Amino acid sequence: MIRTLRALFLSRLLREKILLVALALVMAALWLSNLAGRFGVFLAEERHTTVSLTDQAQWLANRDAVEKLTQQSARAFKPEQTLDSTRLLAAVQSIATNAGLHNFNTAPPEDVSTAQFSVHTLQFTVNKVDYPSLVAFYLALQQKAPYIGVEQFIVQADKAMAEKGVSDSLNATMKISSVEIARKAR
Amino acid sequence: MCASPFNFLRAGPPPLRVLLLPDALFFVRSVPVVIEPAAAEDAAQVASQVELVLDASSPFALAQLYYGHFWAQGSDHAVVFAAYRRRFTAEQTAAWTGADLVLPAFAAILGAGVEPATTVVLSSPEGLTAVRWDEGPVPSDVWFQPVPPGATDEERARARGDLLRHRESRNIIDLAAPPTAEPRRGDGEIVFRSGDFLSRLPAELARGLDVRDKEELAALRRARARDVVLWRIGIGCVAFFGLLALGELALAGGGLWQQARRVKFNAQAPVVAGIMTRQEVADRINDLSTRRLLPIEMLQAVHPQLLNPPRPSILFTRASTTGLYTLTADAETPNAGEIKTYQNELESLPVCANVVIKNQQTRDNVATFTLVVTFKPEALKPLAPAP
Repeated sequence: MIRTLRALFLSRLLREKILLVALALVMAALWLSNLAGRFGVFLAEERHTTVSLTDQAQWLANRDAVEKLTQQSARAFKPEQTLDSTRLLAAVQSIATNAGLHNFNTAPPEDVSTAQFSVHTLQFTVNKVDYPSLVAFYLALQQKAPYIGVEQFIVQADKAMAEKGVSDSLNATMKISSVEIARKAR
Repeated sequence: MCASPFNFLRAGPPPLRVLLLPDALFFVRSVPVVIEPAAAEDAAQVASQVELVLDASSPFALAQLYYGHFWAQGSDHAVVFAAYRRRFTAEQTAAWTGADLVLPAFAAILGAGVEPATTVVLSSPEGLTAVRWDEGPVPSDVWFQPVPPGATDEERARARGDLLRHRESRNIIDLAAPPTAEPRRGDGEIVFRSGDFLSRLPAELARGLDVRDKEELAALRRARARDVVLWRIGIGCVAFFGLLALGELALAGGGLWQQARRVKFNAQAPVVAGIMTRQEVADRINDLSTRRLLPIEMLQAVHPQLLNPPRPSILFTRASTTGLYTLTADAETPNAGEIKTYQNELESLPVCANVVIKNQQTRDNVATFTLVVTFKPEALKPLAPAP
């Protein structure tokens, strides 16, 4: 068959031979380019999936260790003294008021929960506060440790007040967290 | 019923287009050849010697002849044949265009493997041709006996007797029909058959038999070589298509495998997300219970005005914590020289693990900079609550 095709090809006019070969070359180039592109995408996906599956396998292998760590960490807490998001908000407001803070506000708490444990975090912002009041609020919060903790702290001079000659006016933002343990977990 | 368009593939390659010219138009000579080992290729040497012989012996100039020759490797002589070009009409030579081979009829049997002292007799309407081999593959003699048109069998038999009268032969083979070319099986040789009689002409030798104009033949050979290159490129492309098709299959198989892995990933994702959440909760519970962020303690440990000696010219404008042990403070001072001294003092503090000053710049005689202090874990003590 190949000899027949060869004879057929060789019997064509030169321009027809060139056209056939050029068509074959163009088709090969287009196909190769297309296949190479899809192969590149496939390799990228394959690598990404491999990394993701490896990551998942590590997490799954650590499942028991994570559970154990959670249980161990929770031993420092008495479930009845842990605070849910509502109690955290109330506690922070109470402490702030007792420390003499007025211009404060809080954002709605964000929760990270498992079946037994929850961590509630709220952002507390206070403006135009003097340093001693801020320290008093902070110390009062620290007295609630480990049930309430500060996770992030930002303080800056109040420029508007500084321009008016009040150099001790500060604006502060904190992320305050609490742990909640379901009663039945213990 | 319609015939399949691929029937031509089953039919095999088309036969060679070979034109056998009447032997009567050619004069034939057996000429000695001398091969010099150090000179050019043997076939080229023979071709040039043949042309010299023809030039010397023919009454016509070489350019006025259609000629060819037959010589086999190792032979000490060649058979040369030539015809005056004007014995062929323009219509006859026009028919040669596109032919694979144009040669006198007797030349078709020169590739026969015959016993020594054998004569083969070819019959044609114009007469009888005898080809005689003594030793070796190259015939020693070729001669022609014309027969008048419309001659009877008796007259032809008489002519045959005249043809063979003066040459002794051990074997005489009469070919009943003129040789015809077999369909091509490859580029290596051309096979002629007349009944059971076979003549195999290697392509290299067959080229020498072609009587057409030599320049024209060279051009045809170049065109043929170019066409073969194009054919091979085409075949290469087809082979490459096969490879690409294999690549497509591999990609399709890989896609199925990848799909199975994605299904597994998606099935595990909620479980893993739960474990990651538990890990995050565990870390944060652990941080709250064992490690406390002490931002005021950090601030007081490095505040310029609380150092010994205090540095009242340096003022903090902003301070923030990163993680549990790093404090970043933006500060300004009218005395840029104090920044380095301040850094040195902080580095000497036992609670500081690392002190970095960056983003230093000066504006309106006030130098601003960013201080990044990393504290040693557990080095800071919590402030005592106010009584």
